[in-house]
Amino acid sequence: MDCQKTQQLFDDLTHDRLAPAIATQVRQHLADCTDCRVLEQRTGRLQRLLALKRYERPAPEYFDDFLSEFHGRVQAEARKIGWWEGVLGRVDDFLAAESMRVWRYSFTSALGVAAVVGLAWLGLRQTGDPVVAAMDQTTAANSSLAVAETTLPPPHSTPQTIDTSLPNLLSASSADYQPASVGSVVLVPAPAHTDSSTPRYVLDRLSITPASYDVPSVHF
Amino acid sequence: MIATKLKEKLGLGSILPRPTSTPAPAAEREIDLRHEEDEALVRRSQKGESAAFDVLVERYKERLYATVYHMTSNHEDANDLVQETFIKAYKSLQSFRGQSSFYTWVYRIAVNRTINFVKRRKNRNQYSLDDLDSSIQSDPDLVEMQSHATPRREVGLNELQEKLNEALQKLSESHRAVVTLHDIQGMTHADIAKVVGCSEGTVRSRLFYARQQLQGLLSEYL
Repeated sequence: MDCQKTQQLFDDLTHDRLAPAIATQVRQHLADCTDCRVLEQRTGRLQRLLALKRYERPAPEYFDDFLSEFHGRVQAEARKIGWWEGVLGRVDDFLAAESMRVWRYSFTSALGVAAVVGLAWLGLRQTGDPVVAAMDQTTAANSSLAVAETTLPPPHSTPQTIDTSLPNLLSASSADYQPASVGSVVLVPAPAHTDSSTPRYVLDRLSITPASYDVPSVHF
Repeated sequence: MIATKLKEKLGLGSILPRPTSTPAPAAEREIDLRHEEDEALVRRSQKGESAAFDVLVERYKERLYATVYHMTSNHEDANDLVQETFIKAYKSLQSFRGQSSFYTWVYRIAVNRTINFVKRRKNRNQYSLDDLDSSIQSDPDLVEMQSHATPRREVGLNELQEKLNEALQKLSESHRAVVTLHDIQGMTHADIAKVVGCSEGTVRSRLFYARQQLQGLLSEYL
């Protein structure tokens, strides 16, 4: 018999729960193996030390009112119990029954999965799933575009309103324009940025080039 | 009337205050019930005979109290937990099919409740120890320990009690449970396995490691 097997049988040897043949083998091993013998002695001393805790006990009269307190607690519980607690208690008892032990874990797992799925669904509804959100945005964009197509004016309508006012003011000032000269140097403005085609923007109608566009030509 | 019926449906109706008009026959009945086996008392209780359950409470209250007390090292907590254990057992009695003994079943409730309780109050260990019975002075194991060449031969009993409780509280809940049930309560490995809900091998393994830890913690007394 090896050390591990012997050590597992210490308790049974102490309480005389071993068959005589096995008990003899254990005793023989203890006689031969110092480590196991020391361990067995220390275990025995520890068990005797722990057994002293049996002397820790309340006074004999301590339990006199135990039963009446039990009745009081049961009645108090019966008074405060709600119907849902009764139902939960019944479910708990049903699952705690020994015949239901096999199904307990399956039921708990199914409940857990249902809870997770439910929470995930709620979470999606509140925070918005990216896919669902994208689908929602596309739908919204399509509908707003459809509205815009029916209500917006034609593309050139807005520039035309400006076209009637601002260019008149500018054309008056452009009539008085003379090329600037500094000494023998004549500053000739660059050709105006005009277009013969129908102007699209206000600036296309300017008869002068904006100052920033001027590229002075220097003649010597 | 309706409340009574509701309580009966919820399994709480059978422990309503008993009629006090005929106390003598009830007392005689209880004396008779005390001689009955657990199985018979359970069957009677399931049929609504609350006196039968009272006998079961009387039969196991002290043993359950001792187990819970050694796991908690607290007098008041132990009392509360044993009361809760019996209430739970009473309410769940209809689901008890008798596949294990009532004793194992009620112990399982008590140990599970106590383990959960100890886990919850992990960081607030408050000892409230029971007094040592004076008969400990003549215990042969104590006499032998005091005569043995230990480093703490002159150990005071109260100090020893505190050290033992401190050492036990340093074990994990599952290790404490098996040490309490085996080394203090004297239960067999097989019974502990049924109570704790694991194999006998696991019980032996837990006992081995718990004792190793305790030998380190209590080395000066060994």
